[in-house]
Amino acid sequence: MEQSAGKMTSGITDPAPESPAKLELCNISKWFGPEGEGVHAVDDCSIEVKKGEFIVVVGPSGCGKSTLMTVGAGLEEPTHGEVLVDGKPAGPPGPTRSVVFQKFALFPSETVEQNIKFGLQMTGVSATEQETRLAEQLKIMGLEQFRRSYPSELSGGMQQRVAIARALVMQPEILLMDEPFGALDAQTRTILQEEVQRLHREMHYTVLFITHSVEEAVYLGDRVVVMTRRPGRIKRVIDLPRDVAWKTGDIELAAEHPEFIEFRREIWGLVREEIVSI
Amino acid sequence: MGQSRTLQVAASLGAILAWIVIWAWLTRPGGPVPTLYFPAPDDVWAKFVRMWQRPYIGSTLPNHILASLYIVLTGWGLAALVGIPLGIAMAWWKRLKWIVFPTFQLIRPVPPLAWIPLTILWLGIGDSARISVVFIAALVPWLMNSMLAVYSIDRLLLDAAKTLGANDHQILTRVVCRTALPTLVAAARMALGSAWSTLVAAEILAATAGLGYVAVNASQLLDTDVLLVAMFMIGILGIGMTGLIGLTQNWLAPWSVLGARRD
Ligand SMILES: Nc1ncnc2c1ncn2[C@@H]1O[C@H](COP(=O)(O)OP(=O)(O)O)[C@@H](O)[C@H]1O
Ligand SMILES: [Mg+2]
Repeated sequence: MEQSAGKMTSGITDPAPESPAKLELCNISKWFGPEGEGVHAVDDCSIEVKKGEFIVVVGPSGCGKSTLMTVGAGLEEPTHGEVLVDGKPAGPPGPTRSVVFQKFALFPSETVEQNIKFGLQMTGVSATEQETRLAEQLKIMGLEQFRRSYPSELSGGMQQRVAIARALVMQPEILLMDEPFGALDAQTRTILQEEVQRLHREMHYTVLFITHSVEEAVYLGDRVVVMTRRPGRIKRVIDLPRDVAWKTGDIELAAEHPEFIEFRREIWGLVREEIVSI
Repeated sequence: MGQSRTLQVAASLGAILAWIVIWAWLTRPGGPVPTLYFPAPDDVWAKFVRMWQRPYIGSTLPNHILASLYIVLTGWGLAALVGIPLGIAMAWWKRLKWIVFPTFQLIRPVPPLAWIPLTILWLGIGDSARISVVFIAALVPWLMNSMLAVYSIDRLLLDAAKTLGANDHQILTRVVCRTALPTLVAAARMALGSAWSTLVAAEILAATAGLGYVAVNASQLLDTDVLLVAMFMIGILGIGMTGLIGLTQNWLAPWSVLGARRD
């Protein structure tokens, strides 16, 4: 996944054909309640996330994006279809698939450092290793001065940094993020978008990222999956250029690039069809 | 904020003082209220001092207080030992709830005081009868609120814990029990309120010492001043114990207290 900055691609080619599939959602359908009677949230969705790839799923609100992610994380059983990690059935949720939730989901009774160390303690990582990894995450996410604060004492942006640190500290093979910046103010969101972009570039995380923001999708994604309205199906998959300069810089600058504008227009058009036709 | 707090305390103290002044005025010599029905504040105070030093119906006031506290804290504490684990377990394991809850629902509408005749029959009028009644009175709020504490935990936290590799046992001990703490403090307060009021009633019916026992004897002997002393002590101790429980929240669950520490 070495990326040479500056090279332009049309975006329709498969940019990482050599990478094996890391996470596969195969023909996922999900009914809440009895099939045929309850809520049909997701219908026959297949998504393949290759190793080191950043996949963004966009779609109108209520189309089944979160459902798809909870199924991908193993928190919900699909009604049909299966989830594979490295080609094998993924099984119950666990730290190979770390999740960052829109509502942070921090443990209110634990301080920042206790929250970050939680997963390490649950999985029996040694105390010294815990401290090393904690220190590393505190530094990366800029949380050192808040290590003994409780989540309720932090701003939304800081809370989401803690949640991201708590996910990354597990050194997950796959990172699942469900509208992680949806509850944040615009400035905080911009900064965290840039940080996630940087983390992905430097650490080559395999990410399945959910959002309803088309800008976010174009800026962050290697590939964007557009979903239809409920029951969510896959409407279109769009490959984005990966090794271009505008993706490595500030998001405001990226948003002025003609290529960005073109992709945003195309994807927004697809999403809009799903909203308008409700 | 500091200023409004001072103002609040001053207003509260002022109001209490005003009540005492009205009380003194109504019960002054030749005043509208005969002291047999309602003795003057200074008489009540004098009686309080006297009772603190000399025995009244068998014990000094401190010993009556200790007798009451012993019963209420034992019953309340035993109820906690049963109610908290059972409540949490019932909320956590549905099947346990299916088995235990119907019985509990059947017993619940019986007022704790209605147990007194039965406990006297079984246990006599000794401490154990009153402890049992207090236990029953405290068990209901302990158990119900412990269940509620678990139910009110955001499911998202359980999901988050699962994705971080926690198994069911770890989720129960580390996430559920800790997150439930603030609600359990509230449960403690409610259980104590229930236990305290039941105890006083139980002492009226069957006791050899205690504030309720003092009150009922004073009433029969027309010692209205003693009755008032007993009632004041019941009220003050109730406030004091609830206040102490409130304070424990600061160190049991500091995150749940507004303006928690930041360092
Ligand atoms: N646990 C659930 N029980 C019943 N219906 C649900 C549940 N979770 C989600 N749904 C429904 O499934 C649909 C998709 O929800 P969701 O996946 O949260 O959408 P999105 O994340 O795209 O906004 C919605 O209509 C929602 O009401
Ligand atoms: Mg959602």
